[in-house]
Amino acid sequence: MESSLVFDLTMMMAKILVILAGTLGVVPIMVWFERRGAAWMQRRVGPNRVGPFGLLQPLADVIKFIFKETFIPKEANKFYYLMAPIIALIAPLCALAVIPFGSKAIINGQEVILQVAQMDTGVIFILAFAGLEVYPVILAGWASRNKYSVLGALRGSSQIVSYEISMGIALLSMLVVYGSFNPHDMVAWQQGSLGFLPRWGAFVNPIGALIFWISIFAETNRLPFDLAEGESEIVAGYHLEYGGMKFAAFFMAEYVAMIMASGLLATLFFGGYGLPPGMSELVNIISAHFGFGAAGMQNTKAAFEFISFATKIAVFMFLFVWIRWTLPRFRFDQLMDLGWKILFPLSIINLVVVTLGVYYFNS
Amino acid sequence: MATINVSKKYTVKEKTYLPAILIGMKITMKRFLQGFLLRKHDTILYPEKKRDYSDRFRGMHFISVDKNKTENCTACYLCETVCPAECIHIVADERDEDQNPYGVKKEKKPVSFDIDSLRCCFCGFCEEACPKDAIKLSTNYELAVSSREEAIYDLDHLKREMNGRSEK
Amino acid sequence: MSNTTEFEIKKPKVDLNYASEKKPVASDPSPEAKPLPKVTIDGKTYEFKPGDTIMQVAERYKVHEEIPRYCYHPGMPIAGTCRMCTVEVEKAPKLMTSCSTPAADGMVVHTRSDKVLKSRTGVMEFLLTNHPLDCPVCDKAGECELQDYNYEYGPGTSNFKEEKRVFEEATTKKLSDQVTLNMNRCVHCERCVRFTDDVTKTNDLVMVNRGWHKELEATTEAGLTNDYQGCLTDFCPVGALTWNDFRFKKRSWFLSKKPSICDRCSKGCNIEVHSDAEVVYRYVPIHNEMVNGHWMCDSGRSSYNDLMNPMRVISPLMNHQNGLHSTTLQALLGELSIQLKNASSVQLVIGTDATREEAALLKDKFPSILGKNVSVSYFNGTAGVTSSADDKKMDNLLKMKDLTPNTKGVEEQGISPLSQGEVSSDIVIVFRNGRAGIPKMKAGQKVILWGVWNHDEIKTLSSQTVLGVIAGLATIEKEGSFKNTDGIVQKFHPAIVHKGGALSAHQVVNMWKSLN
Repeated sequence: MESSLVFDLTMMMAKILVILAGTLGVVPIMVWFERRGAAWMQRRVGPNRVGPFGLLQPLADVIKFIFKETFIPKEANKFYYLMAPIIALIAPLCALAVIPFGSKAIINGQEVILQVAQMDTGVIFILAFAGLEVYPVILAGWASRNKYSVLGALRGSSQIVSYEISMGIALLSMLVVYGSFNPHDMVAWQQGSLGFLPRWGAFVNPIGALIFWISIFAETNRLPFDLAEGESEIVAGYHLEYGGMKFAAFFMAEYVAMIMASGLLATLFFGGYGLPPGMSELVNIISAHFGFGAAGMQNTKAAFEFISFATKIAVFMFLFVWIRWTLPRFRFDQLMDLGWKILFPLSIINLVVVTLGVYYFNS
Repeated sequence: MATINVSKKYTVKEKTYLPAILIGMKITMKRFLQGFLLRKHDTILYPEKKRDYSDRFRGMHFISVDKNKTENCTACYLCETVCPAECIHIVADERDEDQNPYGVKKEKKPVSFDIDSLRCCFCGFCEEACPKDAIKLSTNYELAVSSREEAIYDLDHLKREMNGRSEK
Repeated sequence: MSNTTEFEIKKPKVDLNYASEKKPVASDPSPEAKPLPKVTIDGKTYEFKPGDTIMQVAERYKVHEEIPRYCYHPGMPIAGTCRMCTVEVEKAPKLMTSCSTPAADGMVVHTRSDKVLKSRTGVMEFLLTNHPLDCPVCDKAGECELQDYNYEYGPGTSNFKEEKRVFEEATTKKLSDQVTLNMNRCVHCERCVRFTDDVTKTNDLVMVNRGWHKELEATTEAGLTNDYQGCLTDFCPVGALTWNDFRFKKRSWFLSKKPSICDRCSKGCNIEVHSDAEVVYRYVPIHNEMVNGHWMCDSGRSSYNDLMNPMRVISPLMNHQNGLHSTTLQALLGELSIQLKNASSVQLVIGTDATREEAALLKDKFPSILGKNVSVSYFNGTAGVTSSADDKKMDNLLKMKDLTPNTKGVEEQGISPLSQGEVSSDIVIVFRNGRAGIPKMKAGQKVILWGVWNHDEIKTLSSQTVLGVIAGLATIEKEGSFKNTDGIVQKFHPAIVHKGGALSAHQVVNMWKSLN
């Protein structure tokens, strides 16, 4: 029993480390890619001075952020002012805990499920922490005691609240299909094929997938829904009064939230860590070729699953960047129109249709 | 009928916006691949590479000198008179005999000759007014300075051999 | 008083330093009934007085702008050498010089016929063969007759292909401390030679050699010695003679020109103040036949330096802990009022450089403000001059012994001169405009200074107690009138705006009144 506890703890720490290192390690690469990608899309060169291909640019940025003056506005509410970037960074990191990045590995004869926190209500947990993302926006805007910050915060929070409803309903329609809150069950459901397509949620419920996808743009405050910022009218929005590492925390939080949202999207609609059709046979061939046992075969499979999951996340991250540098910012009324007059009714209708479809197929 | 209706009726296809978004994404993807794979850029790496400007480009001022490094300027104030921005300030004085290799031509000299480049509008009128071809505008467009004082070009600055000046 | 003529100085219409009327038309002594002879110039008939030249008739009636001229100057004898003023006279075989040809009854003159213009073009081309193209360097540029006439009559091109003549030594030759000669620019009009011969009668300039080598030289080793050298630079039609004080200081087209009066002596020469941004660069005489003719002396010409002196007091100063410190006028006047109330006797000394209006104001209104008996007297301060009776001519032209401008005007107010030139009261107020002298005062005398002072003058009063200095306006900064040594009253208006903290006597008195 003693050794099992030590093993469990070790594995837990290892998994947390993998998630943290993976997420926070990707952030600087994403920052670099965002800037270079933007440059390429705009026929510019982009950062190319620091290190090979400018890859060390994020490092230079970090050094600059660290050595900047820690400035807190005189009239600011100090506690909430400092709290906001911490919440902004912690909330999406917590949500990442329930997203599985592989089925299971067999280490030292014991099964290790590749998910930090195994809970049956995983999706609810994610929604709870994703919903927390509105708080740092409001806190930062209000605590800075700056008109522009408050305006940005109000715009940002109303936007996030509006789109959370459509997102929740789109999610609900998928829960009806899967019949479970557990991400592993969802992934398992999406194995198999639908004609020539994999049986992914996106193909089963394309409208829901689209609504969810649009909503996560609004949730993560990415263009075209970055109304919380809006340089042209409210200077920098809710983080106007933040500088140095506090601003960097907001900046990192944005990318962590993107990774989290991409992971959620992949899990719910694109087969999660599940291998695409045909890949299972490849795993079998490789295992047979190298003469792996049952444990080795499962571990090989887990590795491929991780790669599959990471690839899906990478594609969505690229989409985030691609969309950002393609579409301009919405006007606030257009944003609300889209949220309440189109996505909300559409998601309700979609829910009804999906429910009827599930009832029809199950009976 | 005094108003002109400029709003447009959108079709259902247009109203979804998706085709337009896809077209936009196609363009950005094309650009992305061109930049990523073919290194096709419209910008240049500035300090290493410089754009070719027209020979008639009007950049930083300079005062031409003769072979004794004496300025050709005779402080006639014509540039100061014609300057629409009133950015030229000259103080004149008698030129010393030994500084005066051409005798009659240069009995007057500028004691100070300041051009406030922050006020200057680079119209080139001074160049046109100058009877001695002393003040000219070079093709040097790198005018950035780190203080306001540096932006006021004095005589020594103006007499310095300018980078990229045209001798035509 | 009733016999004096009173008139205002006006800016001359022709923007040159002189006008060519020999005498004002108003002073024509014989408006007789007999018909005046008539001459026809450019199709119009004009009456003239017998003896007038064509030039004078044309000038008087402003035929066209003017007949161009180089050698002719109304203040000097006629030479007729430049040939620029030639006009066509009908029935005369050749062109006639308008400056020297007397008008005759029934004469028909054309000043701008083709023949005349062709002649002028030829004259200009010849003058320009050797004239250097150094207008950018030349101080005369902008007010140069050669430039103006060349613009109007010049050929635009030149057939002269040879090397221009250069006088190596006389390129920048100092004729005296005040005048520099550049012989290359000279057009040999000889106005300067005639001026020294006939106006100053000092004969200090002469043309030596002839033709190509004709050169202006001083007759003595000492160079120019007369006191009217500035006039040479005024009427020189080109930049050959330049005034060192003004040389290279400012281009002429930047100067704004306002008429005023020179206050350097009791003559009251009419001047034009040339200033830019309220900084005076030179004085130039205006023609007034009754006062100064066309001329002014060099000491008057340089007198603007006293006003532009950085040592001049231009803000009120108050005595505090044995030192003079800048203060507001209100604070100063308040303090002085207390001092004056407590004083056993108060004396006011008005310098003879005060205007008539100031003298009247100080004599009549000022004592009532103090509410005290104030003994008022005037003080001249020029060596050997106590009243206008001592004034006399210093030479045959303009210079006077009295170096203050308004001795007669102050006397006219019924003020008497300071007896023995000494003050004897508890507190003495000295009002002067920088020209009158400072009266002798005993050591420890309490004194209030008012008007134009400079710190060097105040330093000479170190043995007295200076209670305060009220900064006042100088002549060219204020409005008023002077009565000159000949009894002519001349009004003047501000030529420049004072930029310091000095106020006019009226403003100070009004403020003083409002304080009490």
